[in-house]
Amino acid sequence: MTYTDWLREDRLPHIYCAGCGNGTIINCTLNAVDHMGWKKEDTVFVSGIGCSSRAPGYISTDSLHTTHGRALAFATGIKMANPGLHVVIFTGDGDLAAIGGNHFIHACRRNIDLTVICMNNQIYGMTGGQGSPTTPVGALSTTTPYGSREPTFDLCQLASAAGANFVSRWTSYHVKELTRAIHTGLQIPGFSFIEAAVQCPTNYGRRNKFRQVMDQVEYFKTHAILQQKAERLKAEGKSVPENSIVIGDFIRRDRPAMGVKR
Amino acid sequence: MRLVIDERRCKGCNLCTIVCPYKIFRQGAKPNARGIVVPELDRPERCANCRLQALYGRTLCGMCQMICPDQAISWKDEEIGEPTKVAIEF
Repeated sequence: MTYTDWLREDRLPHIYCAGCGNGTIINCTLNAVDHMGWKKEDTVFVSGIGCSSRAPGYISTDSLHTTHGRALAFATGIKMANPGLHVVIFTGDGDLAAIGGNHFIHACRRNIDLTVICMNNQIYGMTGGQGSPTTPVGALSTTTPYGSREPTFDLCQLASAAGANFVSRWTSYHVKELTRAIHTGLQIPGFSFIEAAVQCPTNYGRRNKFRQVMDQVEYFKTHAILQQKAERLKAEGKSVPENSIVIGDFIRRDRPAMGVKR
Repeated sequence: MRLVIDERRCKGCNLCTIVCPYKIFRQGAKPNARGIVVPELDRPERCANCRLQALYGRTLCGMCQMICPDQAISWKDEEIGEPTKVAIEF
């Protein structure tokens, strides 16, 4: 069995724009789920609202497309009702950090046995390019036409501070590493949070000097910096280059988890 | 095995051209019937997956398939009697 067996072939091609990174994250997730050897009947994909949340519609398992920001609340219900199910959540940055922010920190605090994959495209892509809590400082969007001036949310630090068991961040360029991180997240009991930076050529790239799809992926390739290297630079007294995306597995611990079958 | 791009799914983003270690994918020139410029394959028989996938029983590199956001890249078995070409790059 390969990951393509998990796709709903009749629904493809999907509605994502040309070059949208969400499709890559679906590939990585399905590959990791396939490696776990789970049955389709025991796996549930949950999502909220947004581009990223269209993903479960292309996967041939049971899925739930819920209200904006409440994917984690619905997923908690699924897990509590039947702890035998494997629940994976697709969510976006606007869905998870802005509207569902409180659900997110409390799911981390409770440490429910869920795997959350956040496709962070740094903008509200579906509704027309409004600025989200993760829009970088200086980036243009329809609600920040002179450049965003608000400090951004670091979702990985938020999750580790709130108590998630596994926290990791990769980009859509690092497909192998991302697959491995998702695989680890699926194995670990407790709340696993994997943030994947994805490119949004239509709404983010068009306004921010990434006119071609490849430009933003090249940016991920050149500006991603491993967490170990960032820490080494800090220990040496050097500064981490600006605009760099710190990637790696940040937290891996064994706090008591909720919803794990004993 | 044979490397194929599904023209019905490909949206022409050319992400495969930046990840292939053999530079098998090249930017296409002509739009197809759907108006999408699908990447061209430059001697696809060089692909390690084409040569060794059956021997190892697993996907080897597969970067293009993983990064393809449209799930358009796959490997197909040759049909019986189909001429095969082998090219190995050192």
